[in-house]
Parts: sequence; structure tokens; C-alpha cells
Amino acid sequence: MTTPRGENETVDLNRFNQVFFEECAENLAEMEQILISLGDREPDPEQMNAIFRAAHSIKGGAGIFGFNDMTVVTHVMESLLDRLRNQEIPFAPGMIDLFLEAGDAIAMQLAGHREGKAVDQEVIDGVRARLQQAIDAGAGAPAPGLPADQEEGPPQQEAEQLPRRCRLAFTPDPEIFTRGIRMESIVAELAELAEPGEFHCNAQLMELPELAEADPERCLTRWEFTLLTRASLEQILDVFMFVADEEQLQIEEDEPVDRRTPEGEPAPEQGIVPAAGRRVYDSNETAPGAFGRRGNETEASFRVNVTKVDQLVNQVGELLITQAMLSQIAVGLDPILHETLQRGLVQLERNTRDLQGSVMSIRLVPISIVFNRFPRLVRDIAAKLGKQVELKTAGDSTELDRGLIEKIADPLGHLVRNALDHGLETPETRAACGKSPTGTLQLSASQVGGRIVIDVIDDGAGLNRDKILAKALECGIPCSEAMTDEEVWQLIFAPGFSTASEVTDLSGRGVGMDVVMKNVQAIGGRVQIASEAGKGARFTISLPLTLAILEGLSVAVGEEKFIIPLNVVIESLQPKPEQLKSVNGRDVVLVRGEYLPILKLHRIFNLEAEVTEPQRGILVLTEADGERGAILVDALLDEQQVVVKSIETNYRRVDGSAGATILGDGRVALILDLPELFTMHKKL
Amino acid sequence: MQTAQGSAVEQLTADGGAEYLTFTLGSESYGIDILKVQEIRGYDCVTRIANTPAFIKGVINLRGVIVPIVDLRIKFNVGEATYHEFTVVIIINVLNKVVGIVVDGVSDVVALPAQSIKPAPELGASLDTRYITGLGTLNDEMLILVDIEKLIGSDELQIVDSTVDNTQKEAVNL
Repeated sequence: MTTPRGENETVDLNRFNQVFFEECAENLAEMEQILISLGDREPDPEQMNAIFRAAHSIKGGAGIFGFNDMTVVTHVMESLLDRLRNQEIPFAPGMIDLFLEAGDAIAMQLAGHREGKAVDQEVIDGVRARLQQAIDAGAGAPAPGLPADQEEGPPQQEAEQLPRRCRLAFTPDPEIFTRGIRMESIVAELAELAEPGEFHCNAQLMELPELAEADPERCLTRWEFTLLTRASLEQILDVFMFVADEEQLQIEEDEPVDRRTPEGEPAPEQGIVPAAGRRVYDSNETAPGAFGRRGNETEASFRVNVTKVDQLVNQVGELLITQAMLSQIAVGLDPILHETLQRGLVQLERNTRDLQGSVMSIRLVPISIVFNRFPRLVRDIAAKLGKQVELKTAGDSTELDRGLIEKIADPLGHLVRNALDHGLETPETRAACGKSPTGTLQLSASQVGGRIVIDVIDDGAGLNRDKILAKALECGIPCSEAMTDEEVWQLIFAPGFSTASEVTDLSGRGVGMDVVMKNVQAIGGRVQIASEAGKGARFTISLPLTLAILEGLSVAVGEEKFIIPLNVVIESLQPKPEQLKSVNGRDVVLVRGEYLPILKLHRIFNLEAEVTEPQRGILVLTEADGERGAILVDALLDEQQVVVKSIETNYRRVDGSAGATILGDGRVALILDLPELFTMHKKL
Repeated sequence: MQTAQGSAVEQLTADGGAEYLTFTLGSESYGIDILKVQEIRGYDCVTRIANTPAFIKGVINLRGVIVPIVDLRIKFNVGEATYHEFTVVIIINVLNKVVGIVVDGVSDVVALPAQSIKPAPELGASLDTRYITGLGTLNDEMLILVDIEKLIGSDELQIVDSTVDNTQKEAVNL
């Protein structure tokens, strides 16, 4: 019962269990909150229903996930609640304490499953018994409003006494039966003194004689009774009068429950046994079984429909546009006359940004969701290939957009398979090369600026330049010996390219890397390869943090406005004539000893620009994918957050743009895709 | 009036007819299925897109959605492609895309019973016969009925990018 079951189950089931644990903790927390808010009041039907629902959900969930021990307490609790709800049993103030205790017991069981903490079965049984007792007692009790019948059982004066737990150990004289004493009548008498359902009897053989010597008239049994009773010690001793000598009987009494009954209120007569003092729930955070207080997990999660989140993101996007519009209008106003307005707008901008940050963070999920799929995959593949592989992951908690997570899983899986199949060598080969027979495959994720960078690093053989070139030639992919290593590596992304000498069921079908590239590009990402022969290879996927909103620099070219993503901008400058040079008929600018090509946006986009000569305009220095360039624009307008809108929703892909956005004036502006611009520039 | 129209429509749908939005391009009258029309608006604030054919005027912001604008006058070489406050853009919603088309003028919404629609002969209309579903007659005037869905989806207009597969589009839409 106390052992956590999760350990033997598969990872997937564990995830479901996790959901149940969370739900359960939430339900318990809700229940506790309601109960505590009640004080000693009787819950109204709505609160009663809420408590009932919580108990019911826990029971249902526990049943489904196979935590049958948890259903035991919840079941009794649910029954009691159901009867209270239907007014079959009158409410008693002590019930609140009882429910709180039951909640704690469930929380303890939950902790047992979740974290493998010890579960005190006695506590659970006790709670369960008392719940049951409340049901039993309540069932016999009159419905509220009716005059109470005279109670049976203990004498009237004893009814005032508080119940307490007594443990009796009775070691009778072996000759007791010969004196005509019947144990069953003693048991029956004791049971009558005990509170309903609170009587336990245990018989133990003290010694086991040989069968031949066994005398049925000798009593060899030791009796233990546990009972919760209002009866006095005398009453109990009376039962054993004429039966037991003092030394044969041991009685242990617990302190009676010190819950003070408020004056004027009738003593709890419905069989409700107040628990051992109400805990100070509000301050005793470390109380055993206090749920929802696991570390800093007080703020539990709750599930929200994805469409609602997306709607929220869209609305925040619209808000950003409106805010940008207002700011733009405010620019034209006299700052002295409209000082308060300006101040308000600054505040609005700050608030909008905060709101946007919070909303975007809702969509972020840790990449471990994807990484967790790989240990199994790697193990299986490695076994199939006869390779020894150690998988390491880093940056598991790096968060990225929920929409990207799913889309990156496949390309990443491809890269992992590829690394195992083509990258890492067999243990023999590795040993021959002087490497450890166990290869290492590392997956790491990190956030670099506005992008998420995911590396797949293996310490295998690395990419083989000659083999790739030969294969490219064979597949009719344009290539030449003069290509740089990086250009050669990029060849593997060409459609139909595969260097595996034989087709395996893992990789090598020739549909692989090009699909990886396509999928990654589709979500605004890029793949880079670094490789060193004999040392290994590193595939780097870089993705935008989110696809929905980006920081941009808006620039003007003629009548049009463009957005340059801020994460590619290094600086902007007005070039001096001596900085401008021409190389092979192309304009370049010399910045700190480096010649950068000048990309004239008006040429690339066929626009009428005011500025066509670099020395009269502004150059925005950018860097993307390791390539640098200076973009010539007429003017810098603003730095703002823009909501990325798809042009493709209603139109087609536009070369050189990574989408569009709506500016404050309601116009559409294209967002520049720098790597694509560099390519377009080269083709001009 | 409304009830009369309602019953007329009911009758029309019963015998295979439909309602058409009529517009003019140059001297010709065209009709498109009214159910494909989302709205009609003026022409303003179009953002140019580089390296596109002249009839793609660019994109506009239609309440947060980016919508391409096609000038059918330029595409079909009719009328005069001038833009002023009376220039009309019909916003069409077909193939899960919203597209604006610029026409010379929007005339009316007419109901045409199925029997009054004749098949389109090989005729010298500015529009290719492929995109014409038939010819209707209205007040002794010929109405060229356009299959706007086919036209928008055609390679000729280059609105739908046939090289981009759906998954990629979705990815960008996120």
C-alpha cells in the first residue's frame, strides 16, 4: 500500500498519473478551502455539492488510475457527504474536522504514491472507521427538526462525558471457563459501552499446546480490545468484575478529546467523534499530509482549452496594434499641451508589453517534452545497430512555443536517428580510432537572444566531405570541389540525397535531411552543420522563440515600410563617403575593418526610393546565420513589437519576407527575412 | 418585399437557380455567386508586394487579416485602372482564402433561375471560357457568370501557391 506504484509503470502512464496527482491535489485543496471557510457553520447546498464533487472526482480518478487504496477513504467520505447532501443525516459541526482529517489522510496516500512517502495505515483506517461511524450513527439519528429521542446505551450522566480511546489487554486465568464465565458476553458488554463502530476485538493464542495435550476447557487466549467510549473507567472495570484480577487486566486510556462544546449547544450526540483537536490549518504548513504544499507547488496548474489561449494571444496582438496606433498619433501632438496623455501612453505601452509577455508565456512549454522521447528511441536504435550510445541532454527546461514543440519533434528525431546511424561508429571502429567504445549523443537546448537553439551533437566520425561530394555528383546535385566545407554540408539537405551505402530501416532512404530542412524552415528555423572528421558533428537548429510576436525595427523605403527583426540588427549608421567601396561592381561598406555588402531594398523589391545612394541613406547592419550585410533604407522609423501575420493565409509566400504585420496606421508592412534577402541580393 | 424575395430565393434554389452579384469590367457585365462574396469595400491603403505581376496590387489589412488585392481590370485588360474614392473592391471568400478583387463597379444582386442560364459559347469575352459557368440574361443584357472559385484558384492569378504544401502553410499560421 505504501509503495508507490508509478515506479513499475511505463513513462507514459506516469504522465497520466501525474495528471491525476495534480487533479487530486487541486480537489483536496478546494475541499480544504471550503471546509476551513465554513468554521463550524453548516455548509450551504452549493458548498456541500462542491465538497462532494471534489471527493467524488478523487475517488473516480483513483479508481481509474488503479490507486485502489485511495478509493477506500474517499468512498466512505462520499457516502457520508451524499447522505448529508440529501439531508438523510443531520449535519454536525464535528464533521468538518472529520472531513479535514479525511482530506489529510487522502493527501497522505497521495504523497505516498507521488513521492513514495510513508503512509500511516492506522490513521487511514481510523479516519475511515469514524466516517463510517458517522454514517451509521446518522442513519439512526432523527432527521433535523424532529425532537431527539432519548439515547440508548450509556446512562444519561455519562453521555456528557467526552469519548476517548481505551485499549484493554485481558490475559485471563486459564481456568476461567471452569468458573462458568463466557467470553462472548464480556465482548458484547464492552461493545455496548463503545461508540458505534468503534470497537475492535483481537484474540491471540499465548501458547500452542500439542494436540494431544490440548484441553478445550483451558483458556489460552489473550484478548485485546480497542474501543472509543464515553463510559467511565468504572463502567469498564465493572464488565470485568468477577472475571479478572487486577494484574490480568491492563487498561490504557487516551486523553479525552479536548474539543470544547460551546455553551448552549447540545453535546455531539449524533455519534460524531471530534478529532484530536483541530489543527491550526492556516499556520501549520508543514503538517503531515498537508497537500498542495509540496515545495512551492502551491499554485497548481489547471487546464485551459488551447483555442482560448490562442484567442488571447490574438487579442493581445490586436491590442499591440492599437497601442502602436495611439503612440503614433501622440507623436504629432504638442508634448507640453498633452503631457498627461503622453505619460498615459507610456504607461499603456509598458502595461501592454507586460501583458503580452505574460500571455506569451502561457504558450511556452519546456522542451523536455520532446527530449523525453529520445532515451527510449536511442536505446532501441543503438541496440539494433549494435552500437553503444550514451544520451545526454542539457537545457531540458528551455521553453518554447507550444506550436513549435510538436513541429520540432520530427526533425529532431530525424537528426537523432541520423547521428546514430551515420554519425556514431560501431564500438570496434571507435576502439580502433582510440575513442571510447561508447559514443556520446548530446541534445541541448538554450535560448540565445530571441531564438531557441537546439544542438544535436555526436562524437562520431563526422561528415565525410569527399563522400558527400561524390554522392551529390551522382545524384546530379550541383556541386564543385571548390565549395567550402559549410557549403558541402548543406548539400545533404538537397532532396534525394543520402550517403548511406545501404538502405536501412532507420535512415538512408534518401528522404531525410531535406525533409528536416523543410520542416524546420517551415517554422522559421534554420539548420546549421559543423563537423570535424573523426571528432563528430553538430547539427544546430535555431528557431524563433515564438511565431506570434517579434521585436522589430520599422524602416521606410520610399512609400513603403518594412520591419527588420530586431534580433538580426547589429547597429545602424550613416556611412561616410570614405567607408563606401565598390567590389566587382557591388557596393560594400567598410565597418571596423570589415567589408559588408550593401543590400538596397528598393532594388530588391523594385521600389521607388527617395534614397538610392548609400551615403544619403541609413545602413542597418544585420547578421543572420553567420552572414552579415548592410541594408540601405531611407529612414529608421521606430522600434516596436509587431504581431506576425501570415501572408500565406490568403496569398502566397512572398520572397524576402517572413510574414507581415499591421502597423499603427492600419497599413500592412512586410517583415524582412534576412537570409532570404542575402540570397536575393546575390542573384541580383 | 423581404418575404417576396425570400420566397423567390426558395423557389430558385428549388429549381437550381441562385443569386448573383453583378459587376462591370469595362463594358461587360459579370455575375458571381453571392454566397462567395464576403463584403464590398473601397480601395485604400494597399501595401505593394515586390516582384509580383501588375494585377496583384498588394495586400490590405482587413480587420487584422492580411488580404491580397487583385485588379481584374489589369488582369483582363479592360477598363481603366484608376483608383479613387469610388473604386470598388469585392472581398471574396473561396478556398478558405479571402481575396479582394478590384472591378469597375458593382451593380446589383440579381436572382437568376436555372433555366435562364445558357452554357457559355467560345466567345470573345475578356475572361477565359474556363472560368465562365454560363451566360445569363437580365433585362435583355448579357451577364457573364464567373466561377470565381476556379478563377481565384487558377495558376493564372498566382494567388494560391501550388508549390507550398498545406503543412507548411499551417506552420506559418500557427
